[in-house]
Amino acid sequence: MKKIFAALVATLFLTTLTGCAEAKPEAVAEVSIVDGWVRVYEGTEAAGGMTGGFATITNNLDSEITLVGASSESAMMTEVHEVAMVDGKMKMQAKEGGITIAPGETVSLEPGGLHVMLMGLKQPLLIGEEVKITLDFEGTDDVAVVWPAKESLAGDEEYVSNQE
Amino acid sequence: MSKVSRRGFLAGASASAGAIVGASAGAWFGADQAAAAAEIKSQTAVLKRKEKFYGAHQNGIELELQTFTNFVAFDLLDGVDRAAMLRWMSLLTDDIARLTQGDAALADAQPQLALGPARLTATVGFGPAMFEKLGLEHQMPDSFKNLPAFKIDALKSEFSGGDVLIHVSADDPIVLSHAVRRLITDSLGFASVRWSQQGFSNAQGVVPHGVRQRNLMGQVDGTDNPGLATDDFENLVWINDGPNWIQGGTIMVFRRIAMQLNTWDQLGRVEKEQVIGRTLDTGAPLGKANETDVIDFDAVDANGLKVIPDFAHIRRAHAHAPGERFFRRPFNYETGVSADGNPDVGLLWTAYQRNLDTQFIPVQRRLERFDLLNKWTTPIGSAVFAIAKGVQPGQVLAAELFA
Ligand SMILES: [Cu+2]
Repeated sequence: MKKIFAALVATLFLTTLTGCAEAKPEAVAEVSIVDGWVRVYEGTEAAGGMTGGFATITNNLDSEITLVGASSESAMMTEVHEVAMVDGKMKMQAKEGGITIAPGETVSLEPGGLHVMLMGLKQPLLIGEEVKITLDFEGTDDVAVVWPAKESLAGDEEYVSNQE
Repeated sequence: MSKVSRRGFLAGASASAGAIVGASAGAWFGADQAAAAAEIKSQTAVLKRKEKFYGAHQNGIELELQTFTNFVAFDLLDGVDRAAMLRWMSLLTDDIARLTQGDAALADAQPQLALGPARLTATVGFGPAMFEKLGLEHQMPDSFKNLPAFKIDALKSEFSGGDVLIHVSADDPIVLSHAVRRLITDSLGFASVRWSQQGFSNAQGVVPHGVRQRNLMGQVDGTDNPGLATDDFENLVWINDGPNWIQGGTIMVFRRIAMQLNTWDQLGRVEKEQVIGRTLDTGAPLGKANETDVIDFDAVDANGLKVIPDFAHIRRAHAHAPGERFFRRPFNYETGVSADGNPDVGLLWTAYQRNLDTQFIPVQRRLERFDLLNKWTTPIGSAVFAIAKGVQPGQVLAAELFA
């Protein structure tokens, strides 16, 4: 059945969907999380520093899910953050209510936008190190991920606490 | 982590949509649209061609030349140890796996420049100095060492040596440039760039498949190479003993060979053919009709003179023993023209083999002693690298070496 679908796609969407002809249909997980990474920069060279984690998250369910928090052995505290205009400047802060992803929708966590914040790093973050994070969802099971630490210039937002 | 990629998911969603309209597709997808689609597809055919990444061997060796190339050599930063090497290699493995498929590397600041695969390959190797710095001499393949000094060499340090090599090639210069930048960015935490050398071959579609390129002296280059995917290639190039990490790998000799084109151009065609020992138009050995004809070194002309002179390049370069052969994959380089009109051109010449002592070095010794071509060619850069075997999904390049 899936092979027939793939053949139809190849014929019909020749000009727009290159690559899809060899896409292998797999069992679809409730939530797919790909292209995850954690940022290395001056702020992660010493213990106590903070940094962002980024990924692309797709909700494969037919009901809404929300990324409400996270935890990691590498950091004292982990939060879900957004970057927003505060007092005329782009600053990052905790995302009230978490990141809600509609059924079938894909959300990108990226520098300058939504991210998972690792605060109070227990050790300096090494380039190429694998960072273990558990993403805490409402509406689906928590997901454990391993994201590589990569150097990046992007994502140097100032942190403001909106917590009392 | 989930196994389902975003692309896979999106493709699945489109498949459902396709099924709904599939029944009437033939009716509306007419000849005009089909022709337009075919036209667009052919315009980007070079971009879409893809080389595989996973396998017994690294990519970038046993394949037809790509059009553009960049060899980037690194020196390790102080304090880089085996654990750091493993972290570096894990980043490179992921980057190369993505880039060869035409996808952006993770954390790419300009993912829009990952235009497509364009036959991109990236090959990783290690120089003798790296093994010494990390105390890994016992992991070196048999015969692996810095090359001896050859008296024809005029080596410059800015073109020579290096602890680690990343050799990247692609059929598009923007795809190549972008990929190289990503790979360098992910390397700077571990090493500094020692040198980088760019080259080119013919554009795709200019010479038929399987035909060798011409170098800038006008010679057909790469004749007598072991054929791709042959037992000959397997036996000459891929290492099959020694440490595990190198079984399926190879040893690369890199030589930057400058050409003196102005003085070469002063020769007539017959003289040039005598120097090489081959006809310039077909690449056939002198006295023969085709490039691949067996060379007759004993043939004499009406005056009793050897058809292929003693000084001819092919006489000196020809294997004296069955194993004295290797796989050459030379790119041209050109880095400008001097005020008096002399182009700075030559070859970024590579030779791949199992064993330096029995393959490259004896041939080079003969060329060093007596090869008239030396008058117009000068090796100005030199390096050797042990090229790790290939990886399977989930594995890290050269993991066994640094574990
Ligand atoms: Cu933040």
